[in-house]
Order: sequence, then C-alpha cells, then structure tokens
Amino acid sequence: MSSFPLVERDEASAAFYDAAARGELLMQRGPSGAVLPPEARTDPDSGSADLEPVVVSGEGTLVSWVVVHQAPLPALAEAVPYVSAVVELAEGPWLMVRLLADDPAGLRAGAQVRARFVPSGSEEEPGEVLPVFEPV
Amino acid sequence: MTGTGLNSAIAGLGLTEMGKVYGRSSTSLAAEAVRLAVADAGLGLGDLDGLLVSAGVKQDVNVNLAAVLGLHDLAVLNQVNAYGATAGVMVAQAAQAIAAGAATTVACVFADTPLKPKQSAGAAWGSGAKRPGAPRNLRGMAGWSVNSGATNPNILYALCARRHMERYGTTSEQLAEIAVAQRAWAVHNPLAQMREPLTVADHQASRWIADPLHLLDCCLVSNGAVAVVVTAADRAASLAQPPVHVWGYGQAHAPRRMHAGSDWGLVTPAGRSGPAAMRMAGIGVDDVDVAELYDCYTYTVLVTLEDYGFCAKGEGGAFVSDGRLAPGGKLACNTGGGQLSSYYMWGFTPLSEAVIQARGDGGVRQAPRNDVVLVSGNGGILEHHSTLVLSPHERGPHERTAA
Repeated sequence: MSSFPLVERDEASAAFYDAAARGELLMQRGPSGAVLPPEARTDPDSGSADLEPVVVSGEGTLVSWVVVHQAPLPALAEAVPYVSAVVELAEGPWLMVRLLADDPAGLRAGAQVRARFVPSGSEEEPGEVLPVFEPV
Repeated sequence: MTGTGLNSAIAGLGLTEMGKVYGRSSTSLAAEAVRLAVADAGLGLGDLDGLLVSAGVKQDVNVNLAAVLGLHDLAVLNQVNAYGATAGVMVAQAAQAIAAGAATTVACVFADTPLKPKQSAGAAWGSGAKRPGAPRNLRGMAGWSVNSGATNPNILYALCARRHMERYGTTSEQLAEIAVAQRAWAVHNPLAQMREPLTVADHQASRWIADPLHLLDCCLVSNGAVAVVVTAADRAASLAQPPVHVWGYGQAHAPRRMHAGSDWGLVTPAGRSGPAAMRMAGIGVDDVDVAELYDCYTYTVLVTLEDYGFCAKGEGGAFVSDGRLAPGGKLACNTGGGQLSSYYMWGFTPLSEAVIQARGDGGVRQAPRNDVVLVSGNGGILEHHSTLVLSPHERGPHERTAA
C-alpha cells in the first residue's frame, strides 16, 4: 500500500487528472470571474452553474494544517503520520490537500506553499497523478 | 404572555442505558426512550399526537418508529436532520407546532447504535457506519479528496482548532481545561461513561488523534436513545414533572465557504443562533446560570462560548482557564460531563442534562442557580447551530429568584 492510495479517473475528473499529469493545477472559473475548487457546482457570486476550466498558478498560502496520527480510513493506514492542510490559492479558492512537510513543527499560518505532483498507487499498479502541496 | 397556551414546556425526559449497549437496534432503543419520556410526564403513548425522529451516525431510525410504538393517529410526524444541531431544531419545531395548534403533545427522540463489540470508537466513525468494511471509493475527484487525508470530523475540527490557535494564540492546555472541567462534573453523573478525574497533564499525555487534538479533546461514541415530550406550558404545569419552559430558540446554518476571506473555523453560526434565542427569551448572556454546550470536541465549547458572547472573539482560551467551567467555577457548563465524558447522543446530550438541571434533579452536581439554562447544538464542521433557552419558570417578565 502506498502513502497515496491508488486513484482511478472517471469521466468528470479526466481533465483534472490530465492536467495534473502535465504538472498543472486545474480549477474552475465562473461568470463572475471567481476561481473555484474543482468540486464546486455553483459560482456563489453570480449563482451560475456555468463553470469553465482554468489552470492556476499552484502558488498559495497555508491557512491551517493538522498532523494526522490516527488514520481515518484503512486506505490511509500506511500514510500516517501525515499532514493535511487547507491552502489558499493565489487566485482565491481554498483546497483541502496533503502537505509534504519535513518539519511540521515549523509550519505557520500564512506560510508560502506551492503545488507539486505525485503518483498515486504503486509502481506495480500506478494510478492517477495527484496535486499535493509543499512549503516553499 | 404568561400562562398562554402558545408557550411550550418540556414535560417528560426518557433516557435508555447508554454506552456499550449491544444487541439492540436503534429503533428498539428509540421506542424505549419515548415510552420512558411519556411515562416520566405522567402521560400515556395515546396522548402523543406528534413525533419527531432523529437518527445519528448510523442513520437507521426513521418515521417507521410511529408504527413500532402503535401511534396510528398522529398530527405531526417527521424525521429531522441538521446533524448535531438537530435536538434544538426539533424542540423548536415541536414548540411551533403547538403554538400553531397543529399538535398538543410532541415527542422528540434520538437514537443511535454505532458501537459494535470489539470495535474502537474511531473505527465506528472511520469505516463509514453505513457500509462497514466496504472499500472507500477512490474514483474520480473523490480519490483526490481521500488523498488529502482530511476525511473525518477529527481532522476537520483539528483544522479549525489550529486556525484559532494560530490567529489568537489559543493553546492545547487551554483546551485541556475544558476536558478536565467536564470530567470533574462527570464524576458525579451516574449516567456518565467516564468518571475517573482527569488532570491537564493526563490530557497532554493522551495520544494524538490529529495534532492539535489529543484523544481527550474528542467526544465518546455511544449506543443509546434519549427522548423528550414537549407540550403547552399550561398543560405541562398539571403533569407529573415540574415543567421546563421553553423561553427561546434559534438556529443558523453556514455551510463552509472554501475561499479567501472565509471565517470557517473561527466564527460559527452560534453567533447568530445564540443571540436570536436569547432575544426571543428576553435575556442576555449575563443572565445564563447553566450552559449546556455541544462538545463534539473541546474546541467546539471554546468557540461557542465566544460566539454566544460569554467573552470576546479570540479570548475563549483565557475564559475557560482557571477552572471557570468546573464545579464551583463561575459558569456551570456541561454539568453532566458532556459528550466528552458522559454520553454521545448528539444534541440530546446537552438537552437531557439541561432538563435535569432545570428541574433541580442534578443531585451532587446540581448547579447553584438554574433560572436560565442555555442549550446549544452544533453540526457539520461548525456549520449548523441551534440554541434553546430553558427555565423552570414560566415565560414572561422574569424576576430572578434570590441566590
């Protein structure tokens, strides 16, 4: 089992994982111009459900983080301890992400972070490439 | 308003055995709690014309409970779900149905059986109680979400607590004060699952679940059921128990906004629900004698105290320190031990203890004053909130009794 359990795409997520494989972070943009997380269904500023894909910088800041010691799911049993975080992208949206931090005790709110891309699954059974974050 | 039929009161309370209660379904426990609450009020099941049902983690009790109880002629029947805020929402709905003349006597019941023999409390949550043992779906965007690792309430509440710590300097030792105070109350609660006294050092030494939350920052998981019977205040006065009058209620919902500027985790909908309920009751926060606050985590208590106005935003850590919430402290809070130490029945934990305190039935743990009892419910990840203001006195121009 991997630190990053194997992920399979579906039709709705294909563009997101294709972008990740290219080293790009794909979000959505609504008619108001607001950049929204991939799971958003509505642009809250306009009420519109008409969202288009947009590649963002992958730069952001740390809002909050947790060092997880008790795995919440069997699939994450090999991953503990790990850091889960909320990051605020430069374009505005907040994402719940895995944060690869060598020194969790040194983390502070507001710290600069950036996206990097890691494979899920294992060498024998590779899955989709996943965006994760790391301190700059 | 005094004495009009428009006001409601809680006339009956029923609690089943709670904790590691195995071999019984949620429905069976729910039925027992309703029978106990009705009998406590001095009524019969046939006196009920309303039933509101709340399911917990397992989501396996519903409106079919009416048939199980032989209730074939109801005016009001519904399943209510606002997660941990449900209990307060149910009592408000019952009070509104009574005020509108839609029903006269409404039972509100919660039941849950997430615990199984030889399974840890964490596993009862983490495996997804709906489909135990089934592998988690790692397809599509859900696969990325699972890989974030932030997939259960422990971790999500820990993210909120960390945010508060970073913004305001709140410490784990301050959260420990809440756990220690509540355990000191639980020592005197025969219904409590955890009755051994705790110290701050015990809290600090308890294992990390999701740093900054230790094991002793987290609620229990319990099997059991609780019910209350709500009826018109003037009718309640002639029943078996001293009425617990419903002076005010409020609810507010703020599904989290994941965007720059969001105050998720720092400010909760308690900030709207609490003042609304207190305004309706004609009281201010300084009038509160007993606060029964939803405590899925120690942090939930701290942030609710701030949002209700017991202290300024960011000062919750200092407020809960020096034993303020413990027996003999300045604010009687979670006097049964709460969900951290007594039993985990969602909003029916604070509600049941509020009824006990308002009746003066707390025994050794009875708060010195009980004229105004505040009850909170919190659901989602600090996203849903309900508030009740209860009192042993009829609603109306209030004069406080002498201390």
